[in-house]
Amino acid sequence: MPLSLHPDLGSQLINLCSMLLLLTTFAIVAQRRLSACVDLFALQSLFLAVTAAVVAWFTDSPHIYIAALLTIAIKTVTIPMILKKVIERVNVKREIEFVINIPPSLLICGALVILAFSVTEPIAKLGFLLTRDSLAIALAIVLIGFFMMIARKKAVTQIVGFLMMENGLFLGATASAYGMPLIVELGVFFDVLVAALIIGVYTHRLQDTFDSVDTTKLTGLKE
Amino acid sequence: MGQLDTLLITAAQAVIILLMSPFVVGLIRKVKARLQCRQGANLLQPYSDLTKLLRKGVVVSTNTSWLFTATPYILFASTFAASLLVPVFLSRIPLNFAGDVITVVSLLTLGTFFLMLAGLDAGSAFGGMGSSREAIIFSLTEPAMILSIFAVGLTAGSTNLSTIVHNTALMNGILTDPPPHLMALAALFIVTLAETGRVPVDNPATHLELTMIHEAMVLEYSGRYLALIEWASAMKLLLFLTLLSNIFVPWGIATEPEPVWMAMAVGAWAVKVSALAVVIGVFESMFAKLRLFRVTDLLGVAFILALLALIFYYILRG
Repeated sequence: MPLSLHPDLGSQLINLCSMLLLLTTFAIVAQRRLSACVDLFALQSLFLAVTAAVVAWFTDSPHIYIAALLTIAIKTVTIPMILKKVIERVNVKREIEFVINIPPSLLICGALVILAFSVTEPIAKLGFLLTRDSLAIALAIVLIGFFMMIARKKAVTQIVGFLMMENGLFLGATASAYGMPLIVELGVFFDVLVAALIIGVYTHRLQDTFDSVDTTKLTGLKE
Repeated sequence: MGQLDTLLITAAQAVIILLMSPFVVGLIRKVKARLQCRQGANLLQPYSDLTKLLRKGVVVSTNTSWLFTATPYILFASTFAASLLVPVFLSRIPLNFAGDVITVVSLLTLGTFFLMLAGLDAGSAFGGMGSSREAIIFSLTEPAMILSIFAVGLTAGSTNLSTIVHNTALMNGILTDPPPHLMALAALFIVTLAETGRVPVDNPATHLELTMIHEAMVLEYSGRYLALIEWASAMKLLLFLTLLSNIFVPWGIATEPEPVWMAMAVGAWAVKVSALAVVIGVFESMFAKLRLFRVTDLLGVAFILALLALIFYYILRG
């Protein structure tokens, strides 16, 4: 089993890959252009697939390879394609609108990362040594995704925030529990795909009704 | 190490940085040209530019003071002195007693400080504009740079660059402790782009008055003064690339002063630095220059990442 040969290298590689995910998360938070946001999400999903593949290699669990391939097919190719089409079709202005501007957002995200690390520290000690930091990084990505959904106005950026949360969850599941059963993962992938489609349609409706995809306008809805 | 060896190694390192720096500039230009489907200038073109400028006469405005003529020498000398303190092919450099990373940063700052003064000195509108912009960017990059190197220094257990590189080389480089190292690497890469005036922050290839930063500051310079300033900028760029490659991927660097190892280390260093130069060329082609007031976002990312990298050490390993 390759795990016993070089557990250190495996752990370092997995930490490196999950760190790349966190870096792209920060890049998304600091991004002002919608299409670049979607591109960065595709890149993040690619890193996620690489992380999953590394975990699969070092733990000898072939079903994670399938999850990695599905990640590439759905999250790096299909969903960004759908989102790009939505952006093009509804002809939204290319700049992202903020509730909280970029520099304070970055500070908050930094605080969230620290929070994630201090919260998971007692748990990580009990877990497998192989992926010590990944669980904390996964939690940090979930929190930052959640923050993105709160702090950005446009529907498309909220989808990206939602998908980032999903990426964080997947990373956490892969890294700390060596993946979920394949059937659960298939279900999750299908859910995410459908969610992206539904939110895409919802964005169209928003555009039709308000001539804008700014979700804060929804508070003005009347009977 | 005998005294002669010490002298030879120090001299070799200085000469390598001095002579290789225009080549790196040429390489970045070539990469950009090829990506724009142009043939591009010869890789050795910056050398010809420098010799041409060195032979030309100097025009100095009558309104300038001694600062204006002294600045090119101060800038060149301080950058050169900084390059002596950065390990290039040998991790334990003979001059490591002379100063640590704070010295390197302050030497670079000294040059930039005088360049900003000289920009103001001639009293032209562009010079002042360039200086004020440079001051904004410089004050934002400096903390990120220091913090990111300190983050690696914590793992290595020293603020001395030579010791940092030596210890990291004996460990696994970036794989020693990936999360903080990768954050520090990303931060230092952004700092490199900002400090050396590369594209998302400044465009080295343009003299468009609305966008230029570094070029606006040195607009008044000509002849050998300009040559010294451009050479110093090239050295600064190579210095940053050397820092990036030797701090984070020190694989191949000689940890003992054996001639064979050192020869191989020079080769490894050249490959790594050239690879980084190509990466910067590709980066410059991929991204548009940021608006001046958006630069703070980018530098904010660098600062937060460097700060996180530093804090990581205390949360996780403390």
